[in-house]
Amino acid sequence: MDTNSKKLILGIYDDPDHTLDATSKLMHTGFKVFDVYSPFAIHGLDRVMGVKRSKLSLAAFMFAMTGICCALTLMIYASYFDWQINVGGKPFLHIPTYIPITFELGILFTAFGMVSCFFVVNRMFWGKNADIMDIRVTDDRFVVAVEVIEGKTNVEELNKILIANGAVEVRERMKEE
Amino acid sequence: MSYESPIRDLLVTGGKSYTDITTDITRPLENKPSKAWWIGFGISSLVLAVWIFATTYTMLVGLGAWGLNKTVGWAFDITNFVFWVGIGHAGTLISAVLLLFRQKWRMSINRSAEAMTIFAVICAASFIVSHMGRPWVAYWPIPLPNAFGSLWVNFNSPLVWDVFAISTYFSVSLVFWYVGLIPDIATVRDRAVTKARKFWYGFFAMGWTGSTRTWHRYEMISLILAGISTPLVLSVHSIVSMDFATSLVPGWHTTIFPPYFVAGAIFSGFGMVLTLLVIGREVLNQKDYITVEHLDAMCRVVMVTGTMVGIAYITEFFVAAYSGVEYEQYAFINRATGPYWWAYWTMMSCNLIAPQVFWFRWARTTPWFIFILSIIVNIGMWFERFVIIVTSLHRDFLPSSWSMYTPTIVEVSILIGSFGLFFFFYFLFCRYLPTINMAELKSIVLTPHAKELQKKYTDMLEKGPVKQGEKVEKGEMTHGH
Repeated sequence: MDTNSKKLILGIYDDPDHTLDATSKLMHTGFKVFDVYSPFAIHGLDRVMGVKRSKLSLAAFMFAMTGICCALTLMIYASYFDWQINVGGKPFLHIPTYIPITFELGILFTAFGMVSCFFVVNRMFWGKNADIMDIRVTDDRFVVAVEVIEGKTNVEELNKILIANGAVEVRERMKEE
Repeated sequence: MSYESPIRDLLVTGGKSYTDITTDITRPLENKPSKAWWIGFGISSLVLAVWIFATTYTMLVGLGAWGLNKTVGWAFDITNFVFWVGIGHAGTLISAVLLLFRQKWRMSINRSAEAMTIFAVICAASFIVSHMGRPWVAYWPIPLPNAFGSLWVNFNSPLVWDVFAISTYFSVSLVFWYVGLIPDIATVRDRAVTKARKFWYGFFAMGWTGSTRTWHRYEMISLILAGISTPLVLSVHSIVSMDFATSLVPGWHTTIFPPYFVAGAIFSGFGMVLTLLVIGREVLNQKDYITVEHLDAMCRVVMVTGTMVGIAYITEFFVAAYSGVEYEQYAFINRATGPYWWAYWTMMSCNLIAPQVFWFRWARTTPWFIFILSIIVNIGMWFERFVIIVTSLHRDFLPSSWSMYTPTIVEVSILIGSFGLFFFFYFLFCRYLPTINMAELKSIVLTPHAKELQKKYTDMLEKGPVKQGEKVEKGEMTHGH
């Protein structure tokens, strides 16, 4: 057995409510819930699992600021410092007319920066081979994956909780790191 | 999962389960295309060929192939550009603005409306390129240090703003659309039976596993993308309107343009969404997903925005009269009674008067009628742009330079051809991607558990009042959290 692989017990559900109940129960009884997989976002499940609030919103804000700074720097440099162009006697440095482009570039940087960060933190990239817990998880099944630590986890009780909360199937699986 | 009010109708009818949603929505892309698809795709390709021919002809011959003259230097090209950009706006409105307002009915229509946005912006951009006369220098509005003419572009010009606005709009819409597609692409990947499908959908699914940690981040970026797309969509058409509003031409030089253009864009966009979906729900057999209630909601938006543009038309007249500016006054009298009066009154009747039928529920819930109305809206909004552009230009300050404009066959071919371009992409989209957001829809149908309870409840209602001494289960009618 590879030392980097984990042993997981999967509880497979067909109802998001049952999934949420089971996860909540497991968290309270001190089991290590590795992750929960679902075909759609189950609201509140992230809180039950204790997932920390993502910092992507902060990243988005930083990218917005970068975009705004880049746009203003470019326009002020080009139209005032580098090469002044007289268009109908209008001022060379005119901040109000720079607002639209500044705004657009702020949005552009935010969208691309934030989404790139999203892919990086999820380790998602084009052509990645997905390590799917159960092929039906993108269709109609919900999987609660619990990590089994040899000698520490009470597998019997774990199975009991999973089944008591409506699991339609329980099985074991190895997960490579 | 979500709480459903017992009074409101369900957004998805037919008692669909999660698997039903998956099989229904993936059916068109997992089976051989139907005859209807081939006919539609074939016609679109033919019309696209007309577009290719007409644009190539314009590029070879030059703008002399068009009916433009010294007085009317912008006509069909910019009319079509503004028309297509406007069409695109409904997609962003549905996916972004309605997400911020938590309007769940958007979930059945946002995917196809966003696709429509992207294809419409492609059509719009094609007009920008073709109207340049020398499309091989289309990169000139980009601020690059260069050795031709002035060193930098003029950042005070709305035309330069437009370059940034349209390209940002296109790329951000594409990103928003793609992010929304990832979970559904993964669904198709996991159902794939052919090697090619497994490879391509697997490639674009980016290793999606449906993990809650990913969903948590996914929900966050969706919300932020919606939050930034909302001001973006408003800014795009505002900037398009400033292409006109910052000029001195009577009839263009008005401060009402930005809000009025945005309302018009949403109006025309919803018109196009209705045109596509009334047909699409029949052909793709999606009546349980795009219900009559969805059509009703969209018709209301059409009516409200149509009335808004109608009020803007009337306001323009009032302001012209009130301003005391002769040129402005003449521009509007000329619009309504001059040589292009027929265009003006087509616009008025299609945009202001026709949508008023949507005050009646019958009109909002009868698909064939909605379809006709949506075509009328599209025609009306095309004429709005034609009226604004051509009637303002053709009689300006100097009567000696007054002239008329008639489009040539080449221009008409480019306009018709652009519909081919649009539908060519749209048919490919219907064939290769899930046209409804499955992952979102699954979150609003009743959970299996809730469905059982609902059945129990309806059975109980059918059984009639509880008889004395009968055992009643208590606390069973709750579902969700």
